[in-house]
Amino acid sequence: MNMLQSPQASGSIMGRRAGRTCLAVGYLGAATALALAFLWVPSVPNDAFESPEAQRIFYWHVPSAWMAMIAFGVLFVGSALWFTRRSALGWRLHVAGSEAGLATGLMAIWSGCVWGAAEWGVPWDWTDVRLNTFGLLTLLAMLLVLGRRAQPDGVESRDTFATAGLFGFILVPVTYVATRIWQIRHPGPVIASGDGGGSLAPEMGALLGFATLSFTVLIVGHLMESVHLTSLEQRLDRLQGKLDGGATE
Amino acid sequence: MNGMTALALGYLGMLVALGVWTWTVMSRGRDIERRLASTEAALGLKDGNVDPVLDDKR
Repeated sequence: MNMLQSPQASGSIMGRRAGRTCLAVGYLGAATALALAFLWVPSVPNDAFESPEAQRIFYWHVPSAWMAMIAFGVLFVGSALWFTRRSALGWRLHVAGSEAGLATGLMAIWSGCVWGAAEWGVPWDWTDVRLNTFGLLTLLAMLLVLGRRAQPDGVESRDTFATAGLFGFILVPVTYVATRIWQIRHPGPVIASGDGGGSLAPEMGALLGFATLSFTVLIVGHLMESVHLTSLEQRLDRLQGKLDGGATE
Repeated sequence: MNGMTALALGYLGMLVALGVWTWTVMSRGRDIERRLASTEAALGLKDGNVDPVLDDKR
């Protein structure tokens, strides 16, 4: 490392390295988990499901939904920090949370649709509360990502997006409890069900835990990298403004 | 196409999508760093950490 670098620059480089390391480790872990889900983990009894092999999608669907919940949590924290303290880090967390929430939300929805088509015969059920509140959360993330790109960056537009991020978070606890209160299509909790027992085989539980851990490392890497990128983009915008201003003077 | 083939294709698609997303984020970072370095060089500046919206407000 260059001995003349400022502590701020050194911290930025360390943060960037940590983010990229999380991305690489998380991706390798996710790939390993998906390979094990396909090649190693036991199947379920034929009478338990309409399409027994389709249960292997759970090792992708559950961690994706978990990642999405982390991303929406970061979106909420970032929105609250921006709204209450005008925090630059808060705005970067808002941007990172909305982008990651969109990507992971789409992953969870896509995998759920594949499973639904195989198991229920339909990819989506408009009467199921869990499906629709999660779909709304992903739509909210899409609105924030696309809206931010369509609007000039400013305090007013940030306030608007942060408000949407804050109030949209209400859907997270509703999504969480939806299958406990209104179980329509989406299965209820299989692990952490609160009744003291789980119905997963040990290998399945171990692999689901490994997949969830790997995907968590991956989303942490994405969030760190996205916060760093937003910081760089803001600096680039500022400097280009200066450069343009100098050119016109 | 049987179920396992469809599942294998779905898994491969998932891995490719995850890889593309991760690669896109990393390459976007490299591109911005390169542009930032050339802009800083043009202005004769050192590394910093600013938010233009907040700076304008101050």
